[in-house]
Amino acid sequence: MNALEAREITVRFGGLVAVSDATVEVPATGFTGLIGPNGAGKTTLFNVVGGFLAPERGRVLLGGRDVTRTAPAGRAKLGLGRTFQRLELFGRMSVFDNLLVAAEAGASRLGLAADLLNLPVRRSEERRCARIALDMLDSLDLGWARDRRASDLPVGTARILELGRALCRNPSMLLLDEPSSGLDSAETEVLAGLLRRINAERGVSILLVEHDMDLVMDVCRDIYVLDFGRMIARGAPAQVKADPAVRAAYLGEEDDAAPAAPAGS
Amino acid sequence: MTGPVGILLRTILLGVVTGSVYALASTGLVLTYKASGVLNFGYGAVAMFTAFVHWQLAAGWGLPVWLSAMIVVLVVAPLLGLLLDTHLFSRIQSQPMVIAVIATVGLTVLLQGIVFLVWGAESHRVPSMFPRAAVPLPGGAAIGADQVAIFVVAAGAAGLLAAMFRFTRLGVSFRAVVDNRPVAGLMGIDTGRVSGVAWALGTSFAALTGILLTPETLLDPNFLPFLVISNVLGAAIVGYLRSLPLAYAGGLLVGILQSIIIQYGRPQGFLVNLKDAVPFLIVVGAVLAAPKALRLAGLGASFVVRTREVAGAASPRARAPVATAVFGGLALVPLLAAGSPSWVISVTRGMVMGIVFLSLVILTGYSGQISLGHTAFMGISAFTAAHLAADLGVPVGIAAVAGALAAVPAGAAIGAIAVRLHGLFLALMTLGLAYVAQTMFFDNTSISRGLSGFPLPRPPGTSGDRPFFYIVLLALAAAALLASNLRTGRTGRVLAAMRDSETASRALGINVFKYKVVIFALSALMAGAGAILASMQTGTIGQRDFYPFLSLFLVTIAVVGGIFHVGGAIVSGMLFGLYPQVFGNVEIMGRLQYLLFGMGATLALARNPEGLFGELRRAGVALLAATARRRRPRAGPVPVAGGRE
Repeated sequence: MNALEAREITVRFGGLVAVSDATVEVPATGFTGLIGPNGAGKTTLFNVVGGFLAPERGRVLLGGRDVTRTAPAGRAKLGLGRTFQRLELFGRMSVFDNLLVAAEAGASRLGLAADLLNLPVRRSEERRCARIALDMLDSLDLGWARDRRASDLPVGTARILELGRALCRNPSMLLLDEPSSGLDSAETEVLAGLLRRINAERGVSILLVEHDMDLVMDVCRDIYVLDFGRMIARGAPAQVKADPAVRAAYLGEEDDAAPAAPAGS
Repeated sequence: MTGPVGILLRTILLGVVTGSVYALASTGLVLTYKASGVLNFGYGAVAMFTAFVHWQLAAGWGLPVWLSAMIVVLVVAPLLGLLLDTHLFSRIQSQPMVIAVIATVGLTVLLQGIVFLVWGAESHRVPSMFPRAAVPLPGGAAIGADQVAIFVVAAGAAGLLAAMFRFTRLGVSFRAVVDNRPVAGLMGIDTGRVSGVAWALGTSFAALTGILLTPETLLDPNFLPFLVISNVLGAAIVGYLRSLPLAYAGGLLVGILQSIIIQYGRPQGFLVNLKDAVPFLIVVGAVLAAPKALRLAGLGASFVVRTREVAGAASPRARAPVATAVFGGLALVPLLAAGSPSWVISVTRGMVMGIVFLSLVILTGYSGQISLGHTAFMGISAFTAAHLAADLGVPVGIAAVAGALAAVPAGAAIGAIAVRLHGLFLALMTLGLAYVAQTMFFDNTSISRGLSGFPLPRPPGTSGDRPFFYIVLLALAAAALLASNLRTGRTGRVLAAMRDSETASRALGINVFKYKVVIFALSALMAGAGAILASMQTGTIGQRDFYPFLSLFLVTIAVVGGIFHVGGAIVSGMLFGLYPQVFGNVEIMGRLQYLLFGMGATLALARNPEGLFGELRRAGVALLAATARRRRPRAGPVPVAGGRE
């Protein structure tokens, strides 16, 4: 069964068709990329999958279950995690608390009344969730930043924290929206290694939306290409790279988005 | 003989006349808001204050009325506006919305304070500058010439503004700034100058509003600011505070609706005060009907508390002794002050209000929401408890608990609405509900039994001031413990997370709806409990005890005391309770009360968002560090109480 399916999605903004009849499938423990030039509709499709935008037509299935009408919070409970292109950290909380909130959202069995009355169960639940957060801190090498305010982090660290926060929720399916934006090449390298590890060791399925073609070609096993809201190609990295339609879509575009495709690696 | 057509015509024309005054004010309010980014909740107070200056010049010093009006509108008001801009509002422009709201609320309190100090609290009738001859209308009715003149002057001022916008160079910069302030700034327009001119113009309009209104309405320092601001907010919201023409149209709409209700409505029961509720029914309706993007953006005003580091909770180890000392000290008050019962009463009052301030700490300080309508919850609780005790014979203790719980559904309902509303919209909405609650329910004598007051006795055995003191102390301790648990636990973390990013919270599976409902319900519960205890202390509930203005004043004091911490609420409560005790014999200080609190909130705020509590804590920490250094000169760094563990 696929971890994620977005079937025949269409989204219209007024008269503009942002996404037209697009289908994406991410197999269980798969690592799938979604690429396309600026304005191709990647983020729109992504928001449909995340539940922040309702499609005009089409269905979204998470682990075979129809979640088209489910709110973002409901999808998270069904195992969907995500990061944001524009960082959405809890800026005035510490790095540790960012992770703890996520761990508690996923694992805490603490009821509201028990929390407000500070019953003994609160302490044990807190300790259990703090363990999850501390483990995550270790595995991401973020221990040094534990008590920093999240908004004070450099962007590379902030992106990794956001990834860690999503992982604390223990998702089975992870949506990553341009995680490399704002990172230099060394940081992108680190990120790529981290993503591979998450996919291989934790068995988390990943859908990666990216601008950076090098990164996508490097880590993804299966790639979809979106152009003007339509899916114009799908296949393994080498296949996609050779596809004339993909070359046309990227070469037809100007400057900075272009070189990554044909010239890269 | 006046026929139905004549009456209809006159009704609408009278509505247009009053409406055009509100329209003028509403245009001035929106103009200032768009140009400077500050929505002036003190607009009505500015109108009241300038009207007092006018009254002094015309009635007091015998200047011709028209000359006095010219001086006030063309000289005094613009200068006041410029002063406000340069000394207050230009400094808080880039601050988050809560600061601006509280600063303008503080401005209301401050201007009222000055008026009380200089002119006293009596109302006056301001002479009109227009002849009162009757002008006949088709259909047999007539309308006063002064009415016609009011319309002409108000419409003329708005027309001049429109012409200035269209035909002058300044007008072009203005339009650019009003359209998009940041971009206009980038294009080299001097936004500071435009903002100054906007404040001058807006204040002029406010002055003209006051001068045109007060021959009709009494110049009442208690009432006029709220009459003006309520009607003007209702008018301004019609264009969502964005469009000047729609703000003008909104003023006409408010005037005409009220005139129609006065003429034709024979409202009964709950609807008896429908006229006064009109503007806020418009606010509530408009806010709920606003396009989604606008609602969620909260009119572009972020309600994030300022970015400067706000210290986290003290570690439990450091907190426990301080809490013990504070509550232990409070418990000793009745023994230490055995000789002066008035101190016991005042401290009780302070503790009662501390519970109310805690309700604001958990709502605003912990979760970043704003409510300018907490008096609605307070009134609901107090009147429910009183009715249960008096009409149904429920024992007072049970009635009190039930009354406090009665605020919970109201709070939960506002919380459910707050899911859809952010920032300024939420502030306006809650203020609107406080007005609706006041005018439609608390002013209804079958609910409040009028001004004389509704009795609410204390629980049996606590009728003495000492036993009651300890009941209140227990209640405050319970509320403080609850708030502290809330802050340090999972719920507190979730609220902080939602405050920083609702989107990310949702993506983590956090039920934002549930938590907003919970925090508003809890806050309403605390406010309600505080109100019941406050009513028990005095023994009665007056019709005006939960007047909407109190909501604003409470938020102001909560900020002065410190809105981020439990300790801040206690400081705020003591400020509120002890001020009359300390300065009771000094008449001037009694009059200065509002002024001092207003200044405290407006001026000190920009410097220390943690309020007096923050200062006290800093002093305490420094003192501890100093003593520790002296005692152990070679010891390592001293653990500081303020840091996270």
